[in-house]
Amino acid sequence: MFAVIFIPNFSLQATLRHEPELRARAVALVDSKLTKPAIVELTAAARSCGVCEGLTASQAMARCAELIIKSRSLAQEASATEVLLQTAYAFSPNIESTAPGVCTMELKGMAFGSDFAAAESWAEKIIEVLAQFHIEAKIGLAVTPELALLAARAANPILTTQRNNDSSTGAIESFPISALEPPPEILEILRRWGIQTVGALLALGKDSITERLGPAAAELFNRVSPDSPRPLQLVVPAEEFSEQMEFENEIETVEPLLFVLRRFVEQLSRRLELIYLVVAEFHLQLGLSSGTKYERLFKIPAPTGKIEILFRMLQTHLETVRTDAPIISLRLAARPTKPETRQFGLFESTLRDPNQFAETLARLTALCGPDRVGTPQIEATHRPDAFKVAQTFQSAGSGDFPVARRNTGPEDPVNPQTGKSALPLRRFRPPLPSHVEFREEKPTLLRSHIFVGPIVETRGPFFSSGNWWDSGHWAREEWDVETSDGSLFRIFRSSDGCFVEGVYD
Amino acid sequence: MPAANIIELRQLLAERFPGLRTRADELSATKHAFWPTGLPQLDDPLRGGLTKGALAEVVAEQHGSGSALLMTALVHRALGENKFVAVIDGQDSLDVTQLGGDLSRLFWVRCRSTDESLKAADLLLRDGNLPLVLLDLVSNPAAQLRKIPATTWYRFQRLIEQTSAVCVVLSPRPMVAPAQVRITLRSRFSLNALERERQELLRELKAEIAETRRFGENHELESKSA
Repeated sequence: MFAVIFIPNFSLQATLRHEPELRARAVALVDSKLTKPAIVELTAAARSCGVCEGLTASQAMARCAELIIKSRSLAQEASATEVLLQTAYAFSPNIESTAPGVCTMELKGMAFGSDFAAAESWAEKIIEVLAQFHIEAKIGLAVTPELALLAARAANPILTTQRNNDSSTGAIESFPISALEPPPEILEILRRWGIQTVGALLALGKDSITERLGPAAAELFNRVSPDSPRPLQLVVPAEEFSEQMEFENEIETVEPLLFVLRRFVEQLSRRLELIYLVVAEFHLQLGLSSGTKYERLFKIPAPTGKIEILFRMLQTHLETVRTDAPIISLRLAARPTKPETRQFGLFESTLRDPNQFAETLARLTALCGPDRVGTPQIEATHRPDAFKVAQTFQSAGSGDFPVARRNTGPEDPVNPQTGKSALPLRRFRPPLPSHVEFREEKPTLLRSHIFVGPIVETRGPFFSSGNWWDSGHWAREEWDVETSDGSLFRIFRSSDGCFVEGVYD
Repeated sequence: MPAANIIELRQLLAERFPGLRTRADELSATKHAFWPTGLPQLDDPLRGGLTKGALAEVVAEQHGSGSALLMTALVHRALGENKFVAVIDGQDSLDVTQLGGDLSRLFWVRCRSTDESLKAADLLLRDGNLPLVLLDLVSNPAAQLRKIPATTWYRFQRLIEQTSAVCVVLSPRPMVAPAQVRITLRSRFSLNALERERQELLRELKAEIAETRRFGENHELESKSA
């Protein structure tokens, strides 16, 4: 047995998928790629206003002032096809991408066998899932793919062809032959013969038809004959999860962008949920009217399918984004992964809510700057104050999220016993320029923004230099000094002058 | 009244599963919720350490009174206990090269102004992921500090009392009115201190402790230790 998922007005449904509230209104789809751009598909509300296929946009607007004209989008049709195939694949491993908006499924080996009632309830589930993606589908079930397609076209929303004396032609007898889209000349001959339904065609017999109308008629007969099901051209849907939209008007503020983006996140999350996966990464692409693109990769610290968390992450970032030109298109792609399940050890700990923290990190980065928020990493050099700040929490993949473990053994890296022995230094970044008077090569007087007065005690000089072979070379003399007010400073002299590097505290 | 081990279990569950209804919010402010600093001169008068879910203020009125030393000790203590620590560095003055060891659990926010520091603190306290937040304003200009509205600290207190985190504000003068404890540092170190062990310096750290608010007690406590 075969099932066919048929999506009527596929191009229009694909275009309105992210604006489902428009489906009840008068909307017409114009294919601008045609030589004469004309309406190709329209909603029932538009049809009731007198609009029909083939009209130009201006003609249609003349008939219905409230008509909303939408342009056909191949990108959105591609996304809708992905959704259709991925949904079908979740219900049957043998699927065929028959045509745009048509997917044929082979039901061989399915649990319900030839129980048509069970098959209908199974088909209802498919329709429910597609409805979550704002796609209205019809499903036909029959013993051949062609009959199933015919049933799907006539379904409301499910139609199963009934077996009648071991023939599956019972329910489709009344289907018009024109639904098979035969060659016009054959259709005309059959019409003159009074053969207008599939049942009447089958009653003629294959040999009689072939003898009189040739091989084209034989092919037509085979398509509706229950005895010769054609083999399916099986496909496996690409594991690409993306949603895209080309805006008709340029977007200049973040609100309309977020509105669409939220729907994208909902759709992608549901698509992944269907195959028991969650989002590990988002790739956001904004097409700008200047022809350039803004791209950003979002790694989800703790992969999840929760729409609120995923959307908030994108929202937090986009609120800080300024583009050079208005936005004309949006694409959001998701990289799926398996939900992470991990049993922590007794002495392990991690952040309570890594995704919440990633969002906080993004806000802090926007507040302070990317090089000012994160985890310090000490560089392997003797250069003073050599470190960099890594945004570990953001760049870490799902498996690399920091997990704290109990430090054991004598080489405890954070044990104060084995740490630096000196009093910590509060640094001035950059070091404060100062005037230092020397007597017998020892500093005796300090004049700087932070202190002016005599130096009563010194330690030093400590010489430090390095990287003489490149532009990052340094050479300096350091002193630790105690001033008359009891403060302890570190000062240094280099080729640029004297500086106060910090105060010991 | 539940047994002590049940209370501890609830607190543990609340920390690991924040959405779980464990009545731990009611318990977070009980006398059991302390975080020991590891410094006897602080832990003894505080009857166990810094209170979780409350603000603590460390006042360092002079350079060299040991505020950086204390902050470093708290960071080391927390990292040693597998805790994540946030240091909001009000004037970008923390010398991370002296910290040493594995700093992967240290979250450092290098701010340029007091206003930026307060916004960062607000975000981190709202986040509620980190069990220890240190806000270092010791080096910030007095003019900026004077402009901090008193309501800011009350807002921070409201934020942190919903968690089991500890927030320590290091300041050059007393200004955190709702702080549950105020530690005033009185140490003075000479150049010789640079050649001594850090643990030795920590033992000599002089602190005056004033407990201004204690949960469950209406009267004001004043316990001082030098």
